[in-house]
Amino acid sequence: MVGKKEPPKPKPKAAPRGAKAKAATAATTKSGPSGYDAEAVAQKDGKRALAEDVVGAIPTAADDGAHTSAADKARRHKAPLNSSANEFAAMLEPFYYGKHLTDPINTAEDKWNLLPAFLKTKGLVKQHVDSYNHFVDVELKKMLKANRYVRSDTDPKFLLEYTDIRVLQPNRAEEDDLPEGHRSSVTPNECRLRDMTYAAPILVDIIYTRGGQKIQKRGVKIGRMPIMLKSNKCVLSGRNDREMAVMDECPLDPGGYFITRGQEKVILVQEQLNKNRIIVESAKGLMQASVTSSTHERRTKTYVIQKKGLIYLRHNTLSEEVPIVFVLKALGVHSDKEIMLLVAGDDSAYQENFQVNFDACAREGIHTQERALEYIGHRIKLMKKPGGMRMRNYHLEAIENLSNVILPHVPVAGTNFRPKAIYVALMARKVIMAHLDSKLVDDRDYVGNKRLELSGQMLALLFEDHFKRFNHDFKLSIDKVLKKQNRAQEFDALAHFGVHKNYITMGLERAIATGNWSLKRFKMERAGVTHVLSRLSFIAALGMMTRISSQFEKTRKVSGPRALQPSQFGMLCTSDTPEGEACGLVKNLALMTHVTTEDDEGPVHKMIFLLGAEDICSLTGEEIHREGVYAVCLNGTPVAATNTPKRFLNSFRRLRRMGRISEFTSIHINHDFHEVQIATDEGRICRPMIVVENGRSKVTARYLKALRKGTMEFEDFLTRGLVEYLDTNEENDTNIALTETEIGLYTTHLEIEPFTILGAVAGLIPYPHHNQSPRNTYQCAMGKQAIGAIAYNQFMRLDTLLYLMVYPQQPMVKTRTIELTKYDKLPAGQNATVAVMSYSGYDIEDALVLNKASCDRGFGRCQVLKKHVTALKSYANGTQDIINAAAVESGPEFGSIGPDGIAHVGARITQNDHFLMKQIPEDTINNRVGIKHKTQSVKHKLEDCSFVDKVCVTENEAGVNLIKILFRQTRRPELGDKFSSRHGQKGVCGLISPQEDMPFNDQGICPDIIMNPHGFPSRMTVGKMMELLSGKAGVLRGTLEYGTAFGGSKVVDMAQVLVEKGFSYTGKDYLTSGITGEALQFYVFFGPIYYQKLKHMVQDKMHSRARGPRAILTRQPTEGRARSGGLRLGEMERDCLIAYGASQLLLERLMLSSDAHEVDICEGCGQMGSSGQCRICDNDKGVRKLTVPYAAKLLIQELGAMNVKVTIGLEDEFERGYE
Amino acid sequence: MSGYTANQATTAQDASGIDINARAVNYTCGDCDGDVQLKRGEPIRCRNCGHRVLYKKRTNRMVQFEAR
Ligand SMILES: [Zn+2]
Repeated sequence: MVGKKEPPKPKPKAAPRGAKAKAATAATTKSGPSGYDAEAVAQKDGKRALAEDVVGAIPTAADDGAHTSAADKARRHKAPLNSSANEFAAMLEPFYYGKHLTDPINTAEDKWNLLPAFLKTKGLVKQHVDSYNHFVDVELKKMLKANRYVRSDTDPKFLLEYTDIRVLQPNRAEEDDLPEGHRSSVTPNECRLRDMTYAAPILVDIIYTRGGQKIQKRGVKIGRMPIMLKSNKCVLSGRNDREMAVMDECPLDPGGYFITRGQEKVILVQEQLNKNRIIVESAKGLMQASVTSSTHERRTKTYVIQKKGLIYLRHNTLSEEVPIVFVLKALGVHSDKEIMLLVAGDDSAYQENFQVNFDACAREGIHTQERALEYIGHRIKLMKKPGGMRMRNYHLEAIENLSNVILPHVPVAGTNFRPKAIYVALMARKVIMAHLDSKLVDDRDYVGNKRLELSGQMLALLFEDHFKRFNHDFKLSIDKVLKKQNRAQEFDALAHFGVHKNYITMGLERAIATGNWSLKRFKMERAGVTHVLSRLSFIAALGMMTRISSQFEKTRKVSGPRALQPSQFGMLCTSDTPEGEACGLVKNLALMTHVTTEDDEGPVHKMIFLLGAEDICSLTGEEIHREGVYAVCLNGTPVAATNTPKRFLNSFRRLRRMGRISEFTSIHINHDFHEVQIATDEGRICRPMIVVENGRSKVTARYLKALRKGTMEFEDFLTRGLVEYLDTNEENDTNIALTETEIGLYTTHLEIEPFTILGAVAGLIPYPHHNQSPRNTYQCAMGKQAIGAIAYNQFMRLDTLLYLMVYPQQPMVKTRTIELTKYDKLPAGQNATVAVMSYSGYDIEDALVLNKASCDRGFGRCQVLKKHVTALKSYANGTQDIINAAAVESGPEFGSIGPDGIAHVGARITQNDHFLMKQIPEDTINNRVGIKHKTQSVKHKLEDCSFVDKVCVTENEAGVNLIKILFRQTRRPELGDKFSSRHGQKGVCGLISPQEDMPFNDQGICPDIIMNPHGFPSRMTVGKMMELLSGKAGVLRGTLEYGTAFGGSKVVDMAQVLVEKGFSYTGKDYLTSGITGEALQFYVFFGPIYYQKLKHMVQDKMHSRARGPRAILTRQPTEGRARSGGLRLGEMERDCLIAYGASQLLLERLMLSSDAHEVDICEGCGQMGSSGQCRICDNDKGVRKLTVPYAAKLLIQELGAMNVKVTIGLEDEFERGYE
Repeated sequence: MSGYTANQATTAQDASGIDINARAVNYTCGDCDGDVQLKRGEPIRCRNCGHRVLYKKRTNRMVQFEAR
């Protein structure tokens, strides 16, 4: 290609990436003719002139044009569409941020532009959307093919065949019967508001027999498929921002979730051990190789284990472990020598180790395949079959078991058991190898041994199960009809077809709505697969889409699965994981990761042989394991062998870069096992990387220029082989340079951008590489709790609970990730001027002092929106809930009810005010006329008043009327509200100080927040200090600074700016005390830091009670603020009182103030009596009054109910006659 | 603090006559922004565009806020 002609162009001095962008912005922002600006422009011009010289040496665009394909031209034609008059389109362009088309290109710096280009084509949640699209477009059709025939047991002539399946555009359930061409106007937001499910009809084409002839029917509906937002079936796909706004949808919303029954549901990414691969591990001292086979029909696990030097095969269907030699014999490896060579090759150590296994042959007298099959047949567990008494054909059973049940993923074509024999031998070989060299034991926690299960796969499992059930039910119902011999009319199977339609619809909807995945076929029962999308903040929603949950139990005390794996580099975020029990088990995807979808094995299979590898089935064991021969494994199964593995690998890679094989195919060499591994399966984690050939990056300035112009997109980089995807296994087989300068002789790839090792949430942190790592993890948790803007359509949504910041600001110190995730468009926080000093003593233990005037001006002000929904139910007897305005009574608490029985919009609702005059029928069972309604109006429970923000009346799919009322509270910061910076430094407001009392600098600037300096030394959040410094410099010269990980604005540069603006380079200012008016005796670290207000606010937690409600059963005080409960004196507090000996206090806390109860105890029988009488002794002689906790009395009675008698023995406190 | 007085709403129609005073209330359509007059028991639907999400209009009573 042309790229090779280019001269190497060493850049004399690599300027910091941020600096240039800043300079550019500085020039555009008219920040006044200060001395610095002029200099900045001059500096920039100088740089440009220098760089332009470099650009000049590059072949021109005309040269470039000759090499563009027709496809490129088509794309070029498309390009202007994107950059049309749409005002938002600029944001979507990869070069929107801080760069102009005319700016010079420097490959070392500007290669990061591939990242926005990547995200532009793929979006932030590409994994989910790609997986879903693959399911709907490809997997669904495959599944139909596998289950295409439905036959009847009773009528052999009947046949129904599915020929095609497709999913249409989403519509409303009531529009399902309209003709296929109908375009529905349904939008996702309508589904949210009306509590509907966002779904589309599934159509099939069928051919079936009616009477004697075949009937073809097109477009038969079999159910409704929930549609993922922004997938290719969604109405939002490919829409521009204006169209999105028309549909009341936020253009920044990532999509990738479902809407079922009005709720946004995410199918979390599930992490699993890979399927169809051999895993060698040592369990309980035994060396074992195991494979979890997974095909459409079957999921099963097969083991090859070594016990006392002998190797066995273990499987669920076999009643005992079968010696490996018998298995291999049964699989058609006849001679002992061939078995030996197939397993051990010519290695004498392996041979010696395997030798003992042949002893079993002599012992059991099994020398032929026949005998071996019989041996295995005898050990197959009987399936439950009613007529199982008759003679079993062990021989056939063994063949059936070996070909379909054991290792079902290894294909057995006809009677060719050779591939399976090789596979079993390979498993045995790996056991021996690991036995002799413990380094060869596999690591389960290695990311390359993991697969991610995405929404598409989860839905595919579910759908196939329901589809099979649907066919089964259909078959049963037609069987019933066909059984009758004389039918009145001709039988039409189609009539029975529509009956079960609801089954698939409801099955899918229920699974997504509840998160319970129960598949009878695989005996899979999984709960909590889906979660409600958290809309606390924009970043919380985004963080949820990248979350990976693992199947490990949380209680296990092993650290392995929780630890950070080196192979996670660039694939999974290193910082974003929760604290506590799920720590390290819940992970997040990094910014650039992609999860593969399944590719066809066929073409790759062909390609392997075209590249000169020999079919492994035609080779003997000796040939396979000869020195220098490498087995070629396709998805873990050996298919071929080659003696030039390196050449094979290189030509395979070349073909992939040429686009002859899917870009997600991975290939790597495993030198330990002498294998070339090729993978095309789904769920592998991979990421793009720049290809380096001959010590030179293939992405040159010319291509970056084309990218900037819009003539090339990320896809073009892939098709031209400039960039390729590497999965974890292949990544381990490459030499990757971090920067262009590090490229050496053996370098094969170049990192696109190092900050992509972090995910979307950790990407918010400025200068994270200067922070202690736990601090970044803390911020990842807190960033999701920050109050800010949710989405552009936040006021059109009706969420159960919504926190919104009134005046959100974008951070002064941004990162590239912030721009890419559009956090700067939907921020959650404000730039507060912080003084790091001690003030007033109300700032101990991380408490913050807030400026009262700042709060007056809107700092930290937020709105809390709460929704109340009422569904007007209909009952079986024809009655219905109603809203009746006439039921209002006089009194101020009914004051805000409007003429329709619902509170006025804008009305102020205080505690116990009625806002909805709901009435329910007095009788909901009997069917009679004139049933009266009783009022059950809804009152406002909270102590703090709210305003009615919105009242929405609507109807759901079932025709039930819904009334949704949104209440709004506007809150200003108060004592005890929680704030945090972006460095895991949280604190509560300890004092709101009047501005007059606060310190100020010589310009009169007063801090918004005073933070105690003790927060720094132990936490080591240097990034926070750097944020302050950069922020201050940015404020002074009118630019936004960058704190991107492993880059960002340099402290030296920032200090320089400060000095030029007349400030100290340390960031410390001279302050005057607002209280005394004297100069403070010290300089104060002073500048802007981005502060987030977190959702934990005192108003929602504040609670006290002296007396209050009690629980009915135990008569103890209720629990929790919502029930105005008491404060618990727990076990540990109790222990303290016991240790101290404060017995009277204990008695008071645990009984008198709780559930003291007076009981009558009979001295004679020790039982409880009532009203001074003992029922058992039938007198009142020995009855004594006793105060016990009611819970104790309850316990005694409950024990009595269970036939356990409890006797209370009474004793005199003082001896008799003591007086 | 509230702008309204309580007796305004309670024009003392006793609860017995449910259907008699089913006054029409104006709502706004969520799609076309048109006015929709709705009586009790009528289907919730915009007469203009058929949209089924309706919003209640803001009160014309005075609302007083506490400036803080
Ligand atoms: Zn309308």
